Amino acid sequence: MRILVVEDDSGLQTSLAEILREAGYAVDVSGDGIEGLFFGQEYPLDLAIIDLGLPGLPGLDVIRKLREQERQFPILILTARADWQDKVEGLEAGADDYLTKPFHPEELKARVGALLRRSAGHAQPLIELGPLKIDLVSQRVFKGEDEIELTTYEYKVFEYLLMHPDKVVTKSVLSEHIYEEDADRDSNVIEVFVGRLRRKIDPGGVMNPIETLRGRGYRLKNPPRET
Amino acid sequence: MSIKAKQKKPFSLRFRLVVLAVLLLTISLGLVGLALDSAFHKSSEAGLQARMESFVYLVLAATEVSDDGILVSAEEPGDPLLNQPGSGIYASLIGERDRWTSASSLGINLPEPVQIQTGKTDFTTASDETGNYYTFRYGVSWELPQGQMLPVTVTIFVDPQELQPEFHAFRSGLWQSLALVGLILVLAQVILLALGLRPLRRISEDISGIESGRLERLEGSFPQELEPLKRNVNHLLDTEQANQSRYRNALDSLAHSIKTPLSVIRSSLPSDGTPKTVAMENAVADMQHLIATRLQRAATSARSSNATAVDVKTQLERLVASLKRVYSQDLINIDVMIEPELAFYGEQRDFLELAGNLLDNACKYGEGQVRISAQKLDSKDSRAGIRLQVDDNGPGIAGDEREELLQRGVRGDERVEGHGLGLAIVLEIVSAYHGEITIDQSELGGARLNVSLKTR
Repeated sequence: MRILVVEDDSGLQTSLAEILREAGYAVDVSGDGIEGLFFGQEYPLDLAIIDLGLPGLPGLDVIRKLREQERQFPILILTARADWQDKVEGLEAGADDYLTKPFHPEELKARVGALLRRSAGHAQPLIELGPLKIDLVSQRVFKGEDEIELTTYEYKVFEYLLMHPDKVVTKSVLSEHIYEEDADRDSNVIEVFVGRLRRKIDPGGVMNPIETLRGRGYRLKNPPRET
Repeated sequence: MSIKAKQKKPFSLRFRLVVLAVLLLTISLGLVGLALDSAFHKSSEAGLQARMESFVYLVLAATEVSDDGILVSAEEPGDPLLNQPGSGIYASLIGERDRWTSASSLGINLPEPVQIQTGKTDFTTASDETGNYYTFRYGVSWELPQGQMLPVTVTIFVDPQELQPEFHAFRSGLWQSLALVGLILVLAQVILLALGLRPLRRISEDISGIESGRLERLEGSFPQELEPLKRNVNHLLDTEQANQSRYRNALDSLAHSIKTPLSVIRSSLPSDGTPKTVAMENAVADMQHLIATRLQRAATSARSSNATAVDVKTQLERLVASLKRVYSQDLINIDVMIEPELAFYGEQRDFLELAGNLLDNACKYGEGQVRISAQKLDSKDSRAGIRLQVDDNGPGIAGDEREELLQRGVRGDERVEGHGLGLAIVLEIVSAYHGEITIDQSELGGARLNVSLKTR
């Protein structure tokens, strides 16, 4: 899952990026509205966190422009202005939730997770895929009572596929969403991640939840259910 | 008694103008009356003089002089007034050796007639000197047979009483018509004032409209003389508004700039739960709470007296749409029960803040069922204020906790975000609007918060 952070305060920008990366997200950062809008238009994002008081272009305008251009990823407003007037204006501009400064890192993670699940159509943080149970909050995968240990990137790939069930996801889309913009990408690595993920969640190759469509990409068979 | 009460209230413009107009009219109409009166007097006297002259000729025509210079009245003078005693018109003739008086002067004590030179005439108005008669004298010479000349003076006396009825009639007619003219002019003045002062009344109505929030500025066109006033009032309103938004922006940016470093502090704290970290956490929470409540207090007290009407239904629908977006995964149902056209005559920001926090709490602590209703505080006076009720179906608030919760909110020392901070802001607004807040049991099963706000 790839998240854009548009925040002009460099200290806060750094700690936001740190919190989110620790939580397993790919994070792009920008310090002003115009650049933020450009990233929002150009990058394949899953969520954006936008501060309202931005140099260059106000946060509200960034949100409006993104929505005008049919960019549908969820947007979380980060604001020091806690007035309902501002919240309502932000939500009317097209944001999906707001977080007032100073926020708890835990609350930030909870809101981001909830928005990502909501945009995938999952209301609950626990979902089932055949015999598998996935806790999207703690980012753990269980088979019955046993936990399946996944590496960060294996989990990122699995999470992205879970959030886009029944859709063909190409290798380049996967790499775009799990890596940040300036990361060194190699689509062969994705094949390696998917192979390891398959072996871990379906060691017998019975269920085969992730299909390979030759030359096109991957698809999650049997959409996951919420518990 | 205060000094203010001692101060005399200045007279109204209308009173001043009417009194001045009446004074001016009285003086000018009085002068006109006096001038007309004296002109009439003069012309009547001129008429009298001509009439007296004709009496002179009547008397002369009836007079004969004997050869030795004795005045002989040949016949009665041609006018009965000269023969009727006490008629008010008397004639006398003075010769060298004798004199004659008309029959009308019988029993009247006429002043002693005086000779004047032949060929001269002399008219004097009635005064004490002439015994209070109008006097006309005419000097003639009679040629006697011996070639001698006999100087004779004819004097006509007219009693001023003769002219009085005429003067009386004229004067009463004059003053009556002048009084009528004066009355008409005063009435016209009152009407003119009413018409002329109408723009002033309109401007004062508009200003009270601004005060009550019906208008935002002085619009409409006013007479040229009032345009500067209108401009100045509008300028004042703009300045006030600009000041207000400047203060608000200053406060806002102050809060903004403090909250960002606070966020950095909070997100840099390790989540190890050591006493040091907890103390830091609490300090940050206290600062956050202080900023939020004090900022609200400042924003609320900077409220202007000329708030415009806020449509309650529209604003609540905005809030509900926003909350549904935020709580979309919780499937919250919010019922809005508002009479249409209910208006709040305060700051829109305050209303959104109050209703937003109340609804947010209800969404947070309820089980998905929220109801908000609102009514006028006084059914007869739509500007008096509004009453709001917010219900939820959550666990509710126990009776003994209600008072404590409100008290904590007032003290502003509640660290837990949620009911604490939201309620503290609600309490700030309620106290700024001199309203009341109570907590009840809702028929939905949870808590019901009753809030009233006064806007008068």
